[in-house]
Amino acid sequence: MAFELREGIFAIDEMRNVSIKIGKVIEEAEEWAEEMGPTPKPGIIELRKWDMKLLERYEPFYAPVQDFCNLCTMGPCDLSQNKKGACGIDLKTAKARLVTIACCIGAASHGGHARHLLDHLIEELGEDYPIDLGGNVNVEAPIIRTVVGIRPRTLGDLREAMEWAERELMRVLHATHIGNEESYLDYESKAMHISMVDHVVMEIADIAQIVAYNMPKAEPNVPLTDTGFGIVDKNKPVIVVVGHNVLYSKPILDYLEEMGRLDDFEIAGLCCTAHDMTRVSGGRAKIFGPISYQLRVIRSGIPDVMISDEQCIRADLLQACKAMGIPLIATSDAAARGLPDASDWPVEKIVNALVSGELPGVFLPVPEKVGQVAPLVAEAIFKKHGGNRKYRFFANDEELWNEINKCTQCMSCVFTCPHNLRIDQGMAHAQKTKDLSKLAKLEEQCIACGKCEQACPKNIKIINVIMASNFDRLYNKKGKMRVGRGPIQDTEIRNVGQPIVMGQIPGVIAAVGCVNYPDEAKSLREILEEFVKRRYIVVTSGCHAMTLGMITDEEGQTLYEKTPGDFDAGGLANVGSCVANSHIAGAAIKIANIFAMRPLRGNYAEIADYVLNRVGAVGFSWGPYSHKAAAIATGFNRLGVPVVVGPHGAKYRRAYLGKYFKKEKWWVYDIKTRSKVPIEPAPDALLVAVETKEEAIVQLARLCIRPNDTSLGRQIKLTHYLELSQKYLGKLPDDWHLFVRSEADLPLKMKDELLHILESEYGWKIDWDKKKILEGPIRKYDAGFNPTIVEEVYEKYAGEKPPQ
Amino acid sequence: MAVKKEDKFPVARRYQIADVQVSREATAVKPQVVVNLIKKAKHPVLITGGQLLKDEKLVEIAVKFYEKGIPIIATGGSSKPLIEKGVKPQSVVFTLHQVTQFLLDEEWKGFDGKGNYDLVLFMGFLPYYLSRMLSALKHFSKITTVALEEFYQPHAKFSFTNLTANKDMYYSMLEEIVNNL
Ligand code: SF4
Ligand code: SF4
Ligand code: SF4
Repeated sequence: MAFELREGIFAIDEMRNVSIKIGKVIEEAEEWAEEMGPTPKPGIIELRKWDMKLLERYEPFYAPVQDFCNLCTMGPCDLSQNKKGACGIDLKTAKARLVTIACCIGAASHGGHARHLLDHLIEELGEDYPIDLGGNVNVEAPIIRTVVGIRPRTLGDLREAMEWAERELMRVLHATHIGNEESYLDYESKAMHISMVDHVVMEIADIAQIVAYNMPKAEPNVPLTDTGFGIVDKNKPVIVVVGHNVLYSKPILDYLEEMGRLDDFEIAGLCCTAHDMTRVSGGRAKIFGPISYQLRVIRSGIPDVMISDEQCIRADLLQACKAMGIPLIATSDAAARGLPDASDWPVEKIVNALVSGELPGVFLPVPEKVGQVAPLVAEAIFKKHGGNRKYRFFANDEELWNEINKCTQCMSCVFTCPHNLRIDQGMAHAQKTKDLSKLAKLEEQCIACGKCEQACPKNIKIINVIMASNFDRLYNKKGKMRVGRGPIQDTEIRNVGQPIVMGQIPGVIAAVGCVNYPDEAKSLREILEEFVKRRYIVVTSGCHAMTLGMITDEEGQTLYEKTPGDFDAGGLANVGSCVANSHIAGAAIKIANIFAMRPLRGNYAEIADYVLNRVGAVGFSWGPYSHKAAAIATGFNRLGVPVVVGPHGAKYRRAYLGKYFKKEKWWVYDIKTRSKVPIEPAPDALLVAVETKEEAIVQLARLCIRPNDTSLGRQIKLTHYLELSQKYLGKLPDDWHLFVRSEADLPLKMKDELLHILESEYGWKIDWDKKKILEGPIRKYDAGFNPTIVEEVYEKYAGEKPPQ
Repeated sequence: MAVKKEDKFPVARRYQIADVQVSREATAVKPQVVVNLIKKAKHPVLITGGQLLKDEKLVEIAVKFYEKGIPIIATGGSSKPLIEKGVKPQSVVFTLHQVTQFLLDEEWKGFDGKGNYDLVLFMGFLPYYLSRMLSALKHFSKITTVALEEFYQPHAKFSFTNLTANKDMYYSMLEEIVNNL
């Protein structure tokens, strides 16, 4: 006889000839009291009903980039005007499938990263290594709790969530094969599913690295770290790391620390690896800049060795490094870059091959070895030039002017540049006046993608021209970024939960994502500063967080230096790298749990419904471009958080846009009055692209409005919305009256004026003696309003079936 | 300066070399064609974009359209300079993304309640952003779209040709339209 015990508590008296296999031992004191909700480890259709609720209101919008498909050999197929391909798929559905694939790629990137970290850390520290995020975080892993239905206590426990995520990825990818889904709505539901998975794997990755590497644990007062070209001491060997997985670059710090030689080197990073280097080193590593700085850094000739890991790195990195004589060490198996595998080579052999130039680079997926090789290579290369780095985009001014003078203003570059930057005009102006200022201005917006150089019939090194034109400013750029703090504390949530849900804190603005900004990078600061000053909570991560650390004001200070790092009104909290985005979603979930006592365990739809109706949080990605950003945004959308993207975001092809005029779509069940109530269209979009910073500001304020706002909360939110609209759009917004439920919602200072407008322009009835609205609003304000759009949630709290 | 027949007319070069589709490309049109389209339209509208904040001349021209009775939907913050010059836009707060979503809905009655628009003119947008919206309208609606932009917009039904090398010509073509309405 043999039987298996899974989770639970058992008493065994006397047994013979029994072999017992024990699955998992949980100590009684640690048993998680929370009851299991309806959807632990959901499969791809278990939350479909929730998705359809969202998609019914926030109708998918498709803006095809191509109107053809060539995914299989029956094609290519012309799908224009929503025609169908040989397999029967129409244009909208084909685009929805493409979006689903993009979200799968995004989720797989964070997932691959998480799996890699997790396996490595478990091997190093053991399965039982505890998850301890500090005394102020008791609700650790809110996403995993809500989605997967487990409460991970050790690194080993995270594997359970990881395994579920991997299974779902397989399922969603399967659905994208030819001959599966027929409705774009089902693809959208699957895109949402895999993007929720994305949030889970981001949480796994960041929790694992925080606990294993002792990164800051929910600390608002993390140190500031240096950013920008100007912070790198060029008189030391310079090691530059680029990518997203700190697993490979951390050993460099460890090794140098062990040798007591940390101060003899400069270690600076690009993109999220830079973030995480500063998190593991307590601010001792530096940040060169966001991902758009790759070619700037390489072509400046500053690095003595380059270490690449994974994601968002240029696919011609080796070529770019080779052209500058910078040895490259590629570390991640996701990007071996065609290089020979040097895992088994002795350290000396690797160093020699790289320093002699015998090999332009090696593939070295062994973290500890990277730690030893990188400093040795950097030091040897440094010795060769002795700190006398002559190369500065051009050897001398003459070279620069020779390039400029070659330009014929053919504009081939302009028609391939993602921003259509007017390089021709900059060149012409320089040719005529010897003034580089027009070219220098391009530097502020150029993402150094290199497309223009390939298009130029004169082979002008356009990037170098642009960079050299702004050389002094670029080279001396210095700033400060607050190191990634990791999660939001439970105590912070306790303090802000109520004012967010009631509306007195007008909103949470989460600025995350990549660097494909439509405008000079400083516009990002201008947008966020508006909200910091108005005492919204501003959170940031990834390249947005780095960019903010590089934009200084007249006093030479970045926004970080002017604001506290708390998750509180007027704060600017940097959570960390891409995978730390999970803490932003986690904060929204924790508000539902800690403030409103909603159970998390396997209870996704209820929590998302809570967030949609009550938590005035809006994601903001001013320059999104990666697949990961697509998944992050879509994951936020499923959780009920709207996202505003910059204009390049329209190229994700799909948005979720509600329509104010479809009155039948704006309703909720009110658990208090046991009725179905029409509501104001708030928020009216889940994903929308804006064109300018002015528009971004107004949309962000607008999308913070939630049905559950109290009168005071609505009054505060409307005050900001109306003021910002007047400031940036020149008048009151067109739809403000839709958000007025009673006179108490009106901004105090404008009350009389607004009552008059409601009467004269919208035909509302006003009792002027009492200054009360008698007739007009979509619905009345009710202090006990308890909205939901989920039937099961209604039944759970009302104890009866929802009204028709 | 009107563009005469004998003037050399620049070739229609797509704003982005790689924004290629298999379906129709916009017909590059001269101002008089646009004038005729507007005159024939039952419910035309001009949508202005955020580039008006950087180009006063475009503001001036939009004002003239308005004075000739073409209603304006202002997006991207373009409402501010327009309102300062006496324009009353039909809407100011909705983004082009949202307005396009509304346009795609045959049931939409327009911001003025008179029914959906049949001719939509676009002026003052970031080219890549506008291009996506024009693509949506091309594939999923019957609306006639006209791009009055410096860059040729392939997904519009009608577009100005590429005028990036000659801004004066661009402005004069816009002037020619408003002067002939
Ligand atoms: S997947 Fe369908 S639409 Fe695409 S090429 Fe094949 S048959 Fe054509
Ligand atoms: S490198 Fe800069 S200027 Fe050249 S195409 Fe890319 S963004 Fe445009
Ligand atoms: S492609 Fe080259 S020659 Fe032509 S405008 Fe651009 S920089 Fe000048």
